[in-house]
Amino acid sequence: MIRLEHVTKHYARSNRPSIEDINVSIEKGEFVFFIGPTGAGKSTIIKLLLREEVPNKGKVWVNDKEVTGMRRWKVPAFRRSLGCVFQDFRLLPHRTAAENVAFALEVIGKPKTVARRVVPEVMDLVGLGGKEHRYPHELSGGEQQRVAIARAFVNRPLILLADEPTGNLDPDTSIEIMRLLDRINRTGTTIVMVTHDSNIVNQMRRRVIEIEGGHVVRDQARGVYG
Amino acid sequence: MRAKYVLSEVAVGLWRNISMTIAMIITMAVSLTMLGAGLLMYFQVQSMEAYYRGQVEIIVYLNHEITEEDEVKGQLEESLIGDPMVKTVEFKTKEEAWTDFQELFADAPDLVESVDKDRLPASFEVSLNNMDDADEFIAKYEGFGDGAVERIMNQRDALEEVFGLMGGVQRLSLILALVQGIAALLLVANTIQVAAYSKRREVSIMKLVGASNWFVQAPFVLEAVFAGLIGAILAFLALVAGKAFLVDGTFKALFDIMTEMSWTRIWLMLPILAGIASVISAITGWVTLRFQVKV
Repeated sequence: MIRLEHVTKHYARSNRPSIEDINVSIEKGEFVFFIGPTGAGKSTIIKLLLREEVPNKGKVWVNDKEVTGMRRWKVPAFRRSLGCVFQDFRLLPHRTAAENVAFALEVIGKPKTVARRVVPEVMDLVGLGGKEHRYPHELSGGEQQRVAIARAFVNRPLILLADEPTGNLDPDTSIEIMRLLDRINRTGTTIVMVTHDSNIVNQMRRRVIEIEGGHVVRDQARGVYG
Repeated sequence: MRAKYVLSEVAVGLWRNISMTIAMIITMAVSLTMLGAGLLMYFQVQSMEAYYRGQVEIIVYLNHEITEEDEVKGQLEESLIGDPMVKTVEFKTKEEAWTDFQELFADAPDLVESVDKDRLPASFEVSLNNMDDADEFIAKYEGFGDGAVERIMNQRDALEEVFGLMGGVQRLSLILALVQGIAALLLVANTIQVAAYSKRREVSIMKLVGASNWFVQAPFVLEAVFAGLIGAILAFLALVAGKAFLVDGTFKALFDIMTEMSWTRIWLMLPILAGIASVISAITGWVTLRFQVKV
């Protein structure tokens, strides 16, 4: 499903974290944590999987597509098979929760009738039934992240990427978000999550890949934070 | 639905940055006016050249003391008619020259008064088969009859001076169009950067969820095209005003000696300017997005 082969990424003109010769393979339906200290290069991996960045060396396969050599005009269609959530939620402040989710459908050309059908479904799935018409500032952090997850999941992607999704949330709320991600994982969606929240990793007991200084230092099934 | 979304984004984008939008439209309009004026001048020179090419003649002025009855006049006439370079020859007597002179300066009776009727020369108006032979022709007849020919004038030389002047004006207006055009395009690039910055959230989400590149870029590019079209319409109106108030107004006398600048030609400027403005704005917008803002 996801494969990184000898992937190296340096940033020429910035000191953003680089990665060196990473080899990772993730199967369909897995739930994988990338952990490691700040600046280890975890988020760089998410950027490579999204094809926001292209590695200097090596190859990246996502959904059985080799993305490093992918033509620019093919990237949008490729991204539709992925969902992605971030620490800072990235919602549009002047749109309601439901409109934020519908926006993801609108801008890829789905007709309004589709949005009317699937948006309430996915709002229910993330546990926000009844709060569809609230604006982001009227929602708690956990609820905002649920909106973001709904938006990422509304196209039923095969892979959900999560870059520190609980980074801005308190422990209880974090656990609720993890339950939601776990439920999405059980529908067959592959989940790749970058975190340095040790509690969560220890509770979930899923595969853990630890990155340090740009290298994979541990890759363990049912691992703990260590 | 998507068209509606894109159009409302365009309107919002232009309005949000209204001072920049106005600056962009004004520079664009000035540049396009200059371009339009330059093009009209070019067409004018072309049509005038075509018109006069068939009409230019060489005028052989005789010494003013020579009259129709003089022998040398007959010799010259014979020689001209027999010359293979010559197409037609027409003699103009001193009296005819005087009548023409009076007509030409009818507005200045003092001038007419002060000129001695006898000083006006008789002349041959000669048209050649090929005007390129003019220099050879002049060299051949300059000294004819030992001073009987006073002067030979090639009308084309005089016309070429006029064309040269018009060409100069045309080049000047095109240079101004280019300079203003560069300023306009830099403003377009800047406007688009500002627009893209103010919409960076939307843009980043659109890209994240896989909106197609054209869908992300279209509102910005259309903003530039819209400004370009408004600029083209303003430039067209400026040309219409120029035709109405300058060509047919203040400088009517000057333009009357030229071939007519038709309204059809002015109207033709609208699609030409609109086309050039929208294509160039769209390209500038797209390049800005693609390589500077990296949308």
